[in-house]
Amino acid sequence: MSYDDVEIEDMEWNEELQAFTYPCPCGDLFQITREELRLGEEIARCPSCSLYITVIYNTEDFADSNRKNKNIEPPKRQPVAVA
Amino acid sequence: MEENERIIEQNEKEEEEEEEVLVQQQQEVWSWGAGTEGQLGTGKLQDEHNPQLLNSLSSFAGPIPFLSCGGAHVIALTPGGRVLTWGRGTSGQLGHGEMVNVLQPKPVESLEGFVITHVSAGWNHSGFVSDKGYLFTCGDGSFGQLGHGDCTSRFSPQKVSYFELRHVTQIACGMRHSVVLVKDHLGQQVHGFGFGKRGQLGISNERLQSVSLPQTSLGLNDVKIVSVYANGDHSAALCAEGQLYTWGRGFGGASDVHIPQCVTTCLSFSTAALGWNHALLLTGDGEAFMLGDYGHGVLSDPQMTISRKKESDKDAVWRIPGLNGLKVRQIAAGAEHSAVVTGKSSSRILFENDGSVLTWGWGEHGQLGLGDTADQTGPHVVSFDKLIAPQHLVGQVYCGSGFTYAIRTPGTNSNV
Repeated sequence: MSYDDVEIEDMEWNEELQAFTYPCPCGDLFQITREELRLGEEIARCPSCSLYITVIYNTEDFADSNRKNKNIEPPKRQPVAVA
Repeated sequence: MEENERIIEQNEKEEEEEEEVLVQQQQEVWSWGAGTEGQLGTGKLQDEHNPQLLNSLSSFAGPIPFLSCGGAHVIALTPGGRVLTWGRGTSGQLGHGEMVNVLQPKPVESLEGFVITHVSAGWNHSGFVSDKGYLFTCGDGSFGQLGHGDCTSRFSPQKVSYFELRHVTQIACGMRHSVVLVKDHLGQQVHGFGFGKRGQLGISNERLQSVSLPQTSLGLNDVKIVSVYANGDHSAALCAEGQLYTWGRGFGGASDVHIPQCVTTCLSFSTAALGWNHALLLTGDGEAFMLGDYGHGVLSDPQMTISRKKESDKDAVWRIPGLNGLKVRQIAAGAEHSAVVTGKSSSRILFENDGSVLTWGWGEHGQLGLGDTADQTGPHVVSFDKLIAPQHLVGQVYCGSGFTYAIRTPGTNSNV
């Protein structure tokens, strides 16, 4: 059973872990990588315990994110791209 | 005759004071649960499933009157208003001017010139209130939860200039937000800042992301607030008449509350403790209640489900089952676990079962202190190593996200 549903915009990009993170009640962080999101994974796991959360996001937002620049900020911090 | 009575009274008072001093000198601090960030203060980086006696605090002057446990760090007050911190420090939440974990209690030097009277540890940030009413914050500031008008983290406590001319009496730090109680000649206000999407700032009916400068919470103008609380995405305030107001993430699957709302008018509470999905409430005569998910405490076993009691009002409080009439003197809530101390706070007479810690909820990291990692849906008594101090009773219990602290003092009920 998923501990919680969390929107990707509420997760934080962690440079050191190279993953989007969200606080886990055990004290550690739920984590999901950009690559996992690109592959459509929606479960972010905590490395310290059995809990996991369901990440809510648009798969299209990450479908083409396999870019050279892996350090880009999470979507909410990016300026809005004007088409 | 009257004179004699007065002398006897005086003597009794002195004896009581002496007793108190003795009690304080022999205070024991115990910790258990998640420990991989050094939050247990044991000097080790490992979980502990049984209570561990800490010797590291005894070198600091006097007994600890108050602890606050956060995501993975701890803040302790000393009797003289000094502050000690330890545990995870990677966001600057320990206030030592650096971003490293500290495995044993260490004084916060930059606060040495102040007498600190109240502290709060959030997920990754910290708040300190001085006797002069100044508020200091440090740690993760990504969501504006430090109240300095920006989203910058700080590694040393910095005075919140917004409250420069006001008198802050309390701060409560949640996951990504803070709640502050101000009381002075201009009146009383509750302020919120930081992440506000779930309504936890109580400042607007509109759904907002976050604010980095304190704003006044609404709906509390006509009530006298005595305490504020925060944990996870929840906020709460207790008024002098005993009504609890909550705002933020809804309990037990209820929708989010953006303006402080009175929980119930049927009961009068003396204190509250918030978790991430539940809250404990204590009445003046030692009755403990719970607010939130009825399935609390079965996290690590997805197969196990509690037959959920059908409640018409999802937010309704319910009496904690399994206490079997035991009175409760103190309550504490971790993210997904709970702890209570038995005994009636107003009574000086203690009974056989008084001064015990009972825990329940999520137990995967040993945070229940029952010797294993099992979850518990009802209260269980925590055993302390009897060889070390058989007579000691638990005075206070404190919960961090996945860990627990208990402060014990020499027992006085052995001859009752």
